[in-house]
Amino acid sequence: MIAIPTLTTDRLTLRAPHIDDFDALAAFYASPRASFVGGPLTAELSWRVLAQEAGHWLLRGFGRWVVEHRASGAPIGIVGLWFPAGFPEHELGWDLFEGHEGQGYATEAAHAARSYAYDMLGWTTLISLVADGNDASTRVARRLGARPDGRFTYERFGDMAVWRHPAPSEVAA
Amino acid sequence: MIPTLTTDRLVLRPNRPADFDAYAAFYASDRARLRGGVKTRAEAFVQFAAEIGHWDLRGYGFWAVEETATGAYCGQVGLWYPEGWAEREVGWMVVADKEGQGIALEAALAARAYAYDTLGWPEVFSCIADGNTRSIALAERMGARFDRRHPRDGQADHLVYRHPAPAEVIR
Repeated sequence: MIAIPTLTTDRLTLRAPHIDDFDALAAFYASPRASFVGGPLTAELSWRVLAQEAGHWLLRGFGRWVVEHRASGAPIGIVGLWFPAGFPEHELGWDLFEGHEGQGYATEAAHAARSYAYDMLGWTTLISLVADGNDASTRVARRLGARPDGRFTYERFGDMAVWRHPAPSEVAA
Repeated sequence: MIPTLTTDRLVLRPNRPADFDAYAAFYASDRARLRGGVKTRAEAFVQFAAEIGHWDLRGYGFWAVEETATGAYCGQVGLWYPEGWAEREVGWMVVADKEGQGIALEAALAARAYAYDTLGWPEVFSCIADGNTRSIALAERMGARFDRRHPRDGQADHLVYRHPAPAEVIR
């Protein structure tokens, strides 16, 4: 198995997915918040999502982290680098669990994941896919300096807006 | 750390990215109807990733089955217990051109021995979609007996087969 790196930011730890994250993930996927990312899902299917997050790391050598709120130790979301079959290119994605909105956590975690992609993996570009109507996610994309760059249809989630992130040279280190 | 098992003709090893094309081809075929359903390549990818990630979450899972003589990928065999599953099971899938050679049986016996001898499980089952006669025949060749029916959301019921206990298995 690939060793999944741990990233830290001011308030958050981005770490490998773990079985103990299941309850929080299942609650997220049972909620209307998940309607923009293929949900709502049953507990059974949410478990598969957690497993696939872990498996993606082995298949691709990168993946998505569970975001842990360091002060409380609570898992508050899933953020990271995603490239399943059927995606047009490498994506930076963020799913924030219920009750943790509006505090800049998604932006903070996504910023760390983007830095990892550019500085550690040497990627030169990155997109984010945002479903129509997902206004909170659109705001995160804007805050990260991303710009609209057309549309893409992922057969599992439907038609989404493509947001193009600033290149490594445009991102303040 | 995913262990590697060897049998007379086979190696059970961790999955590699290169296994995915053959895996996706299996799921694109009608043969997948009774193994979770026919899937597009995008759907097969997340299922493949979940099979690999199952090792992280449970500490056991499916191996890639490789033919020692040719190095060919033959399918997935292993130990599986995702959320909602009736029991901890030994499961199998063999790609079309490797069928009918006893590969699933040979690999499944190794996986079951691993469950009993290395993991110390007291019992193991196989959960087989109703109508999958080939898999039922294989479970019965391994000495497993029908235990009960397990209904599933929007999919064929699982027929739960109980394998012989560790003490009853001849090694």
